[in-house]
Amino acid sequence: MANLLSSGFTKVAQNKRYLFWFWVLNLTLAEFGTAAFRRGTHAILDRSLYADGLVKSFDLGVLIELLSKPEFGTLKSMTYPSLYFGFVFFLATALFLPGIFTGYASTYRLPREEFFRACGRNLWRFIRIMIIAGVIMGVLAALLFAANDAIAKKAEESTNEKLPFELQMIGLAVIFLIMATLRIWFDLAEVDTVLNDQRAVRKSIAAALRHTFRNLVRLLASYVVVTVIAGIVLLAGLWIWMKFIAPENVLGAFVVAQITLFLLLIPRFWQRGIAVLYWQDRMLVPFGQSAIMEPSPVPVSAPVDQPAAEAPPLATTPPIEP
Amino acid sequence: MRTLWRSTAILAVFSIGLIALRPRQVAIAAPQAPVPAKPASTPSADSSLAIPSTTAAINASAPMSQRVVHYEIDAKYDASEHMVDATEILTYHNLTGQAVDHFPFHLYQNAFQPNSTWVREAKIQGSRDIGYEKWDPKEFGSEEIKSIEVVGQGDATANLQYITPDDSNKDDKTVVDLQLSKPIPIGAFVQFKIAFQTKFPETQARSGWKRDFLLGGQWFPKVGVWWNGAWNCHQYHATTEFFADFGVYDVKLTVPQYEVIGASGIQVSSVNNADATKTVTYHGDDIHDFAWTVSPRYKVKESTYQAQMGPVQLRFLMQPAHWNQVERHEQITRETLDHFEKWYGPYPYKTLTVVDPEPDSAAGGMEYPTFITGDSSWLLPNGLHFIELVVEHEFGHQYWYGMVATNEFEDAWLDEGINSYTEVKVMDDILGKDISILNIAGIHFGEREEQRFSYIRVADRDPMAQKAYDYYNFNSYGGTTYGKTASVLLTLEGIVGQETMAKAMHTYFVKYRFTHPTKEDFLKTIEEVSGKDLRWYFNQAIYGSQVVDYEVLNANSFPVNWYEDKDKEDRNKKDKDDAVYQSYVSVHRKGDFIMPMDVEITFDNGEKVREHWDGQSRWTRFSYQKKAKVVSAEIDPDHTIHIDRDNFNNSLIAEPKSKPTNKLSTYWLFITQWLGQTMAWWAV
Repeated sequence: MANLLSSGFTKVAQNKRYLFWFWVLNLTLAEFGTAAFRRGTHAILDRSLYADGLVKSFDLGVLIELLSKPEFGTLKSMTYPSLYFGFVFFLATALFLPGIFTGYASTYRLPREEFFRACGRNLWRFIRIMIIAGVIMGVLAALLFAANDAIAKKAEESTNEKLPFELQMIGLAVIFLIMATLRIWFDLAEVDTVLNDQRAVRKSIAAALRHTFRNLVRLLASYVVVTVIAGIVLLAGLWIWMKFIAPENVLGAFVVAQITLFLLLIPRFWQRGIAVLYWQDRMLVPFGQSAIMEPSPVPVSAPVDQPAAEAPPLATTPPIEP
Repeated sequence: MRTLWRSTAILAVFSIGLIALRPRQVAIAAPQAPVPAKPASTPSADSSLAIPSTTAAINASAPMSQRVVHYEIDAKYDASEHMVDATEILTYHNLTGQAVDHFPFHLYQNAFQPNSTWVREAKIQGSRDIGYEKWDPKEFGSEEIKSIEVVGQGDATANLQYITPDDSNKDDKTVVDLQLSKPIPIGAFVQFKIAFQTKFPETQARSGWKRDFLLGGQWFPKVGVWWNGAWNCHQYHATTEFFADFGVYDVKLTVPQYEVIGASGIQVSSVNNADATKTVTYHGDDIHDFAWTVSPRYKVKESTYQAQMGPVQLRFLMQPAHWNQVERHEQITRETLDHFEKWYGPYPYKTLTVVDPEPDSAAGGMEYPTFITGDSSWLLPNGLHFIELVVEHEFGHQYWYGMVATNEFEDAWLDEGINSYTEVKVMDDILGKDISILNIAGIHFGEREEQRFSYIRVADRDPMAQKAYDYYNFNSYGGTTYGKTASVLLTLEGIVGQETMAKAMHTYFVKYRFTHPTKEDFLKTIEEVSGKDLRWYFNQAIYGSQVVDYEVLNANSFPVNWYEDKDKEDRNKKDKDDAVYQSYVSVHRKGDFIMPMDVEITFDNGEKVREHWDGQSRWTRFSYQKKAKVVSAEIDPDHTIHIDRDNFNNSLIAEPKSKPTNKLSTYWLFITQWLGQTMAWWAV
């Protein structure tokens, strides 16, 4: 597992540019998503001394009064854009993920053209996988949460006050493990679809299912460790924010928030790196049995022993990374 | 019963007139403690009858109230059926000033049936508890008088008749009237011997059972109060609480031996019976209600508080999972006692029982004489002061309800509202002004803000001075009786001064403890102590539903020589520094509540100018010619007005600043980004 974790992380580290672009995408979409909120707050806060209660400390009363003002609009009108743009980020992730898998599997720095070629080539395959995954994960999650709630409700009859909470926490842990298992399954299916250029996604899903359960402990342990690290990153970021950033230091808060969010992107990419690594190690079909499309190498710089002026056209225009 | 707003307004106007005309109530004339329990030359239907002059449960050598009732109850609790079978001997002293030929009794537990007025109103107006939506018949409450005998007149069970003094709901059985064959003469005593059965509901309105816990509140037939020349015995409404006369309680409770028990008053004895039950006897002096609780799982802490009149035994009945919070309960109880004794007057009782009720029950946050319930959870961080908030509030009711026993049906603001005001004062002093509810990770929220918010949501709905069951709905009742009263009295502090207000509150308590004062008694006390005519304020704030909303419309400056060549002006900085500006600040009264106020204008040379505006006209404008530009203008710069509906428009900054927005936006941005990442984590 340690090897899987370290090698998976190496893939992320070697492709840091993906993290950067996803952070930029995340931030940009969130800026759009929060525009209505900003507009609403500017109109009310900017010219009132009462708003100082939000700067020098965080007076919840000022926030409640702000939210209750008709001029501010409904809370729904503020939160829905955030949800929509959050959804757009998820769609964008789905769109670009094939390129990332290809990049992780590649032994060289993947040029932009190939990155987007992989994205385009696998778009509908990914949509199909996402629909299947959505149905399976959605139905199972609904059943599991319903069962968890039912257990907790039953436990409320007990005179042990903590029992419902404890059972619910145990239930959530179980749900997390089950959902993480499903995530591994569909991560492997996605990787197989992309790297195996598998048109029939059902075959990738079936193969991924076999491998998921064949190596469940190892894979699940890796995913759980990475998720725990993500939790620690989030908590550490919030702690630093609260502990070291003065209430009126808006820029400091922004920087800490963005660093935290950037770092939070790493764990999921790390898991995908693990999936790619596992695929390469265990699921890669021996040469000749499958039509694996090995991306043709594209020179990223002019050969050392060749004058730059004689370099081929591609080499004179270094690929722009996504 | 719901009254439309317009009817309510008319009612309010009429009530002002009626209050001015009606005779002063009997209770007002009651002398201050101690008072003799029984006039020496009282005629009596049965000369052997009397209300005891006991003082075992108070730190006083003589009774402190004019004792009207003596309840002797012998009750056996069936834990499996959540039911009580009991006998009650009620001795009543006729101090009404006239012969009385009928007696109304409250049967509160009958409210917890599907067709009661309580449930009907709860369905229309909303309620604190909505458990009735899921009731099945075994969870109904009931209270039935099996038999009633009037000593000297024989069995009178057949004379009982359910009445509905407040509405026409024939299905409501929360008040029963007993017609006597012979009237009780002035000053005489009468004794009723009652056999009754009470079945508690699953906790509703802070009474009933949950799992193996029980809070026995409003559980026995309780006689109405003769008040202002008539019986005052309202039906139980979804928004109302209670009203009863002072007296003596001797209560025997027989419960299973495994139960841990707590109750109002002092415990006199506890005897184990042969049938695995125990009979615990309680005695209470100068109280007007009796509540009790049992649970096999209470963990108990006892300690002593040294009050001004003598030691008070503090008893904390805690849920096992909350045992680590017993210190928080005790600390806030002691600190609250300190403050009330210092600010308002002595706590005379020998006991105070603080109950941490069953989790998820509707039993939290209730007051009974010498007995209160808190509300807690095993997962409450220290910075979240819910425990302190509830315990302080319910203890406050020992004064504003327990001793100053106002009519909670008709003037709920006199107990809940005044108590909310003193809650703000005490919590601010103990925990800090803006952090008394929440103080975690730099996020804070204070009690006075909370009270104001509960008010401004319903600001133009109802006046404070109206019957508790006549409010538009439950939110309006809560927001007005609790939040508006607290905010109105905090604002009053700004008008009469903090010290004067403190003195008025002390005077009110000392003058009216152990009586049933009216709203005018309270208001006149404030006027007398402050020496001010405050009718202009009371008429709008208490008898009216006018809303305060003042705003700074604009605040701007321009050079007086604005028509001169600007380039020339810019060329010479010295000229610019010497520039004279014409500044205007306009203030607007948006609401219909008129009150005077200060306006503070700040200039960019640091100068501050205070203006006073009587607030009579719709708007006013202040103008200045200075070598400085106006930076900001603020209405009520000392923040003494707590009833302004909109705090944002109370000030205006000439040049907008975006820091507050940027800060909030940073938070919201973080949440949005994290949301997107989380969605993408699991979905793809």
